[in-house]
Amino acid sequence: MKDKTEMFDVCVIGTGAGGGVMIDRLTAAGMSVVALERGPQISPSEFNEDELKIVLRKQLFSPGKLETYRSDTEAPEETGNFAEIVHGVGGSITHWGAWAWRLRPDEFRTRSVEGAVPGASLADWPIGYEDLEPYYDKAEADFGVAGVSGSNPFEAKRLTAYPNPPHPWRPSSHKFAGGAKKLGYSPFPLPMAINSRVYGNRPPCINGGACRGHGCPISAKATSMSVSLPRAITTGKLDLRAPAMVYDLPVGKDGKLTGARYLDSDGRQREVRARHVILAAGAIGTAQLLLMSRSGSFPDGLANGSGEVGKNLTYHHFPIVAASFGEDLRTYTGVEALVAVDDLHPSDAKRGFIRGGVIGESNVASNQPLMFGALLQSLTPGARWGAGFKEKLREFPNTMLFTAICEELPRAESRVDLDPNVKDQWGVAVPRLTKRQHENDIAMHRYFKNKLAELAEAAGAEKVHHVDVPNATIDQKTSQKGSTHNHGTCRMGSDPQSSVVDKWCRSHEVPNLWITDGSVFPTAGGYNPTLTILANAYRVADRFIDEARRSSL
Amino acid sequence: MSVETSRRRFLRNSAFAAGALLFSAHLPRPLAAMAAAESTEPVVLAAGEWRCLKAITACIIPTDHQPGALEANCVNFIDKALANEDAAAVPLYRGGLAVVDVVAESRFKSPFAALKSDQQVELLRGMETDSIDPWPLGQELPAAMLFETMRMHTVIAFLSDPRYGGNQHFSGWKVVGYPGSEHHNGGYTRAQVEGKAKVVPVWDRGSH
Repeated sequence: MKDKTEMFDVCVIGTGAGGGVMIDRLTAAGMSVVALERGPQISPSEFNEDELKIVLRKQLFSPGKLETYRSDTEAPEETGNFAEIVHGVGGSITHWGAWAWRLRPDEFRTRSVEGAVPGASLADWPIGYEDLEPYYDKAEADFGVAGVSGSNPFEAKRLTAYPNPPHPWRPSSHKFAGGAKKLGYSPFPLPMAINSRVYGNRPPCINGGACRGHGCPISAKATSMSVSLPRAITTGKLDLRAPAMVYDLPVGKDGKLTGARYLDSDGRQREVRARHVILAAGAIGTAQLLLMSRSGSFPDGLANGSGEVGKNLTYHHFPIVAASFGEDLRTYTGVEALVAVDDLHPSDAKRGFIRGGVIGESNVASNQPLMFGALLQSLTPGARWGAGFKEKLREFPNTMLFTAICEELPRAESRVDLDPNVKDQWGVAVPRLTKRQHENDIAMHRYFKNKLAELAEAAGAEKVHHVDVPNATIDQKTSQKGSTHNHGTCRMGSDPQSSVVDKWCRSHEVPNLWITDGSVFPTAGGYNPTLTILANAYRVADRFIDEARRSSL
Repeated sequence: MSVETSRRRFLRNSAFAAGALLFSAHLPRPLAAMAAAESTEPVVLAAGEWRCLKAITACIIPTDHQPGALEANCVNFIDKALANEDAAAVPLYRGGLAVVDVVAESRFKSPFAALKSDQQVELLRGMETDSIDPWPLGQELPAAMLFETMRMHTVIAFLSDPRYGGNQHFSGWKVVGYPGSEHHNGGYTRAQVEGKAKVVPVWDRGSH
């Protein structure tokens, strides 16, 4: 009840990468912030590498999370927990692999670079690399990225050095680099937002091995929980509420949001009031909440006069090749990835597809036994049990993964909307994912898989396996249902007819609504998105504070 | 029990449609862990079901010069999972295991657990390929689906943290060569990451 009269400067919805930066910067600027997080508070003491509980059963990071999935509007619908995202304080950056990239300049201008592509909804970003560059510097500095500046000949030009030196390499990293050199590529230490030494009051990594998909128990991994939120808490300006499931963003008579309505941990309806609302619930959650917030002035969902909210749901696709060698590669130690090559990243239509992606070593599924056991399903048809299967299990320490992060083309038909039938534990309509790949993605996937196999051969692998990982492989028949990388459902752009927010990530239609998660990406780029989400949020925060100081907000 | 009785019993007890979801995320039940480890007392499975399933797990991951599903106590993991997270699969096991014994009796005149090892493997291979004819449960519960559920459960039991009642004495991790969860045991040194120093598994370090 007290909530009704309480007025905050800002209400931030979502506490992950994009929300965390806003919470940090705005509290540092002296604003009062209420942060509403759909999931519970999670303690680092729960980050115990329990693969069954955390990875398979998803009991720590997204218990009870539901979506529905269909490949297109005619296809049958499935209900499940598809998107690999976190519902909890700190958001999905909590279990990220910490690959920390800057997008290449051409990745902000794919529509101009490639022209119109049938079946795809390519669009230029309303900002360019030069707009984000100083904020990439800031994000790398705050998140302590470890890497070697200038070691990737294909990266965007950069003026600053990485704040930390690279992590030590495993035998598998040297295999990867050796194979890459043999093929004429330029291997380099993969930039990782994990401390390689004491930095920012956080300890260095202890190389535990179970990293991506897990939280870091010692906060060596840079996350919203370990970097952004602690700073905000010390200002005394943050009121963090979790679990707080926001179900409506009410609009006042002046057309501005008055705050947010949410359900608390007991399912009671609560309301907070705020002068501004910053939405950072992830590309799925943000679209879901806007579509749920219907009113007389917004019958099709808040800030959705264009009908664009929820459209262009874009992932990445992840070609994977597993290879075994005759020795212990130590892939169960260290951070997820240590070495990469970017030679195949630049777009080249002569390859039979446009766009590209980065190739890296990864220890996902070769760092812990359960995921390895799952990996074996596709490695060994015909030897799924019995003595032959047991022999395969023994290859665990000798197996490494070669993987690529490939740019997926956006499709307007791939989208998030509200499922008309399925409700979640709060009785709220679950997000419905309608998602299928473009022909270009299939061609690129096949090409990269072959290139990965070539790389593994060159590295001296005894056995090379094209891996069909459920939810990673794509071909004519198989789509990815959910992903860790979700973009595009509330595009930023200069035209209010074809985008949801402007170049400052402020709604075209609702003046006190801002969005700072991956949903604002018009296209996905060929790198992991998180450093760009962080950098963009730092950029928006500066603008927000600037306007507030000039009292023009 | 006759084939027809077992079929009817399965159908009666089963709220379980084809499409078993083992890792169903929407079963917010307490963790099986706590009391599961080391317990050898069945809490869901009847004695006969336990014996039958135990013999099946032993075929899926056999014992050789290293431990297999028997030593890892995979049947215990499954029993505890059925009491908790995987409760939805109880009717599948209940109906399915009875039918495995019915088929074993009709083919080899003995319950599954008492068969010779090559007979057991033959029967399971038939289930895996859905080529047992007649299969008493028909399309209500295809043999391949039952087999796949038991196979996946056994592998998961073998490789999960011992606190869940399988992988006893780290037997599964010893087979795969996984030295254990390190973040709470001090981590790895640079020399260990680089392959220049030996890695001592957690069970040899007195912390367990």
